[in-house]
Amino acid sequence: MLPTVAALVVDAFALSILPPDALWRPLLWIAAALALLWVGIQPAGDDRDDLLPALAVLVAGVGLMEVTRLSGELGRRQEIGMVVSLALLVLLRPLLEGYRRWARVKYLWMLLSVALFAIVAVAGTEVNGAKLWLRFAGVSFQPVELIKLFLVFFLAAYLAEKGEVIAQSAPWKPRENLRYLGPLVLGWGSAMAILVLQHDVGMAVLFLGAFVTMTYAATRRLDIVFSSIAAFAAAAIVAARYFAYVRVRVDVWLHPFADPLGSGYQALMGLFSLAAGGLFGTGLRLGHPAIPDVATDYIYAAWSEETGLLGAVILLALYAVLFARAFGVARRRPDLYSKLLVVGLASMLGLQIFVIVGGVLRVLPLTGITLPFISYGGSSLVANFLLVDLVWIASGLGVRLRGAAGIRS
Amino acid sequence: MNAKIDGAISKIQLVFAVLFALLIAAQIRVQLFQAPALATNPHNPRQALLAAYRGSILASDGTVLAATQGGARAYPLGAALAQVVGYASARYGTAGLEDAYDNVLSASNVSTDPIAQFRLFVNPAQRRLQHARGATVVTTIEPDVQRVLFRRLNRYAAAAGVVLDARTGAIVALASVPSYDPDSLDELFPALRVDTSSPLLDRALQGLYPPGSTMKIVTAAAALDSGTVAPDATFYDPGYVQVGNFRIHNDEDEVTGSADFTTAFALSSNVDFAQIALKVGVPTFYAYLHAFGFGSDLGLALPASLDHVPAQGAIYSGELAQLGFGQDDLQVTPLRMAVVAATIAGGGVEPRPFLVREIRRPGGSVTAFGPGTLGRPISAETADEVTKMMVAVVKRGTGTSAAIPGITVAGKTGTATNEQGAPHSWFVAFAPAQSPRYVAAVVVEHGGYGAAVAAPIVRDVLAAALGRK
Repeated sequence: MLPTVAALVVDAFALSILPPDALWRPLLWIAAALALLWVGIQPAGDDRDDLLPALAVLVAGVGLMEVTRLSGELGRRQEIGMVVSLALLVLLRPLLEGYRRWARVKYLWMLLSVALFAIVAVAGTEVNGAKLWLRFAGVSFQPVELIKLFLVFFLAAYLAEKGEVIAQSAPWKPRENLRYLGPLVLGWGSAMAILVLQHDVGMAVLFLGAFVTMTYAATRRLDIVFSSIAAFAAAAIVAARYFAYVRVRVDVWLHPFADPLGSGYQALMGLFSLAAGGLFGTGLRLGHPAIPDVATDYIYAAWSEETGLLGAVILLALYAVLFARAFGVARRRPDLYSKLLVVGLASMLGLQIFVIVGGVLRVLPLTGITLPFISYGGSSLVANFLLVDLVWIASGLGVRLRGAAGIRS
Repeated sequence: MNAKIDGAISKIQLVFAVLFALLIAAQIRVQLFQAPALATNPHNPRQALLAAYRGSILASDGTVLAATQGGARAYPLGAALAQVVGYASARYGTAGLEDAYDNVLSASNVSTDPIAQFRLFVNPAQRRLQHARGATVVTTIEPDVQRVLFRRLNRYAAAAGVVLDARTGAIVALASVPSYDPDSLDELFPALRVDTSSPLLDRALQGLYPPGSTMKIVTAAAALDSGTVAPDATFYDPGYVQVGNFRIHNDEDEVTGSADFTTAFALSSNVDFAQIALKVGVPTFYAYLHAFGFGSDLGLALPASLDHVPAQGAIYSGELAQLGFGQDDLQVTPLRMAVVAATIAGGGVEPRPFLVREIRRPGGSVTAFGPGTLGRPISAETADEVTKMMVAVVKRGTGTSAAIPGITVAGKTGTATNEQGAPHSWFVAFAPAQSPRYVAAVVVEHGGYGAAVAAPIVRDVLAAALGRK
């Protein structure tokens, strides 16, 4: 509770940078009240890590400030996203606390995922040449943000059950391997499906990453790790060759100055924005981050321009603490399912940060995914709050189980 | 069992730690190491934002010479002052004062300077200043004089002129022809760059011309100041004199006959001045060349050529005789001859010419630049004697076309022969002779006689400067 209150105070300071009326909007106060309510109805167990929700609230508040600074209209919509996310967390608490029961319906998650994919493919709305959106009753939603959680639920359940058997199988015994690896390929296949069907390379990398880390934690089988990465990389190289959309991204990554007013424009504006920040930044609201998609893909550049290297490193440090604590939860959990679930969720979060920040900094080709809790986007906010909530709930249940007699392993 | 899985989890965490370290390294690379180059990249829209805050350049009376209006740089005096003010183009860089004072005119761009950034960080109140204008540069240019000088020079294909404040050395007007319209530089530049008449060149500072007979001011000053020739000496000029291999003659082989020093100067006898130079001798003549500062930097912030002074070792009597009336291998800038005339006007003290009077910074602080001196090549008495001779030039000698009713003008004509064509027409002068206010030097390339072309220009310019027109 206390860390979250502190986080809300810091958020208020961040938001006070904006024009004076920003702090007095009712939605903001509803969001703050909901944040306190969410943290107030604490998950059971006294080993709970209260820093997890506090960091999420802190970073989301900073994100709201930056989005509002970039566009008042998007800021108001992001406030709605905050309210919806936090209200969902409060409402879903009883359901989420029973997350371990979800292991029993593991194939349901894959079915739901396939269904969502199908609905998007049929009824999805196209934005920037990619069908990623579902529009329903005036509300747009990106199903892939939910699918990424479902994938973790499925893999955690499956690997908790079969991980040890897979670990014991020798790589050179194909029959044994095929039997257990079959369903696992579904996880890897989902990454491929996103790459091929939706042309969403960023999300595909996230899915692959979660698949790889969870499989590795469960089986320690490096042969599976490397062969799945290699197969994905081969597919990505083919995609870069034959999908113009992917090829342009790679070309811009390698030669951002080749077409400064065309394909390279966004990357260059991003680099100029970063450069203007220098060590300490231009000061909040004093930068000129005129970058296409600045509130979503390039919000990290805007943040780096206005707060400099110092602010960027602080933000990365907050993320690092968030998922270092998540990995700590994974290690503390006595049951394998929860361990794998938390590893999967933390990897999703960590990779998402790496892929988008690396894209902006030209470590990787840019792929359009959100920066968790910072970028504008309601779907992403809901999914990432759910993700942190689950890790937080898992952190509490650990001790109660350890205290009780029935430690399962 | 769980220990193995926890070990694997720790390894995964380590991989993430490495990935994050990679991000921080990339962040440092872009924001610190690549930042300076990215900040000045022409595609960076911040360049245009900063350009909007660029400081102005003003004339002495506050008239705007260069300012940013509506996103574009405007030059109200146009071609009249084009080479001096220069340009600040996103495409073609900077030149002139825009270049020389670029760092003070530019709106502060703190992104490349970590120390300045830290100051802003610890003192956020200062942050607004980041978008403050660059400093204002106040020049010594007097727009009215500048306009007259340019208008008069612009009647010729190629010419240059300088007007100095005789009391301070301040550059009041500085013009070069042919010129160009600085307001449309971006369209004109590709053609200007290859134009063989060199409109981008500031001939007043960078043009090198044989000084011709205007050099007789220096020869006379050297002869008088060193005591080689007395003020009341007389000479005989039969129209030519044979010095070694050189046969020296006057223009159109005019015979000035028997004359005193002042008359020889006023009628500009080459024969007499060849003989005077020979009397002075190479070491003394060169000592005075150096005392007057020929070949040395005049210390302006704008690019200027150094005069070309032939090596002393290569000078024998024939060459010395020619140097005495400003020929042989000597080449000087118009500014140099203006400074020579200003030295005579200033009683033998050589003023340091200057073009920028003040830099006014946005915070309110002002840096002022005052007059200075470069030395005292000759005595006040010598300067007085030379002044009298120069007055005679305008009263009854070769420079009567420079006379202004009611004002005593002191001047000297020059008709500098050169290998490229007709002689360059020179005139240097100051007025009023008894208490000088303005000094002017004008050269018209291949203009012919100094008296016919350059002298009337100087007359008009001085008259305008003194409020006589």
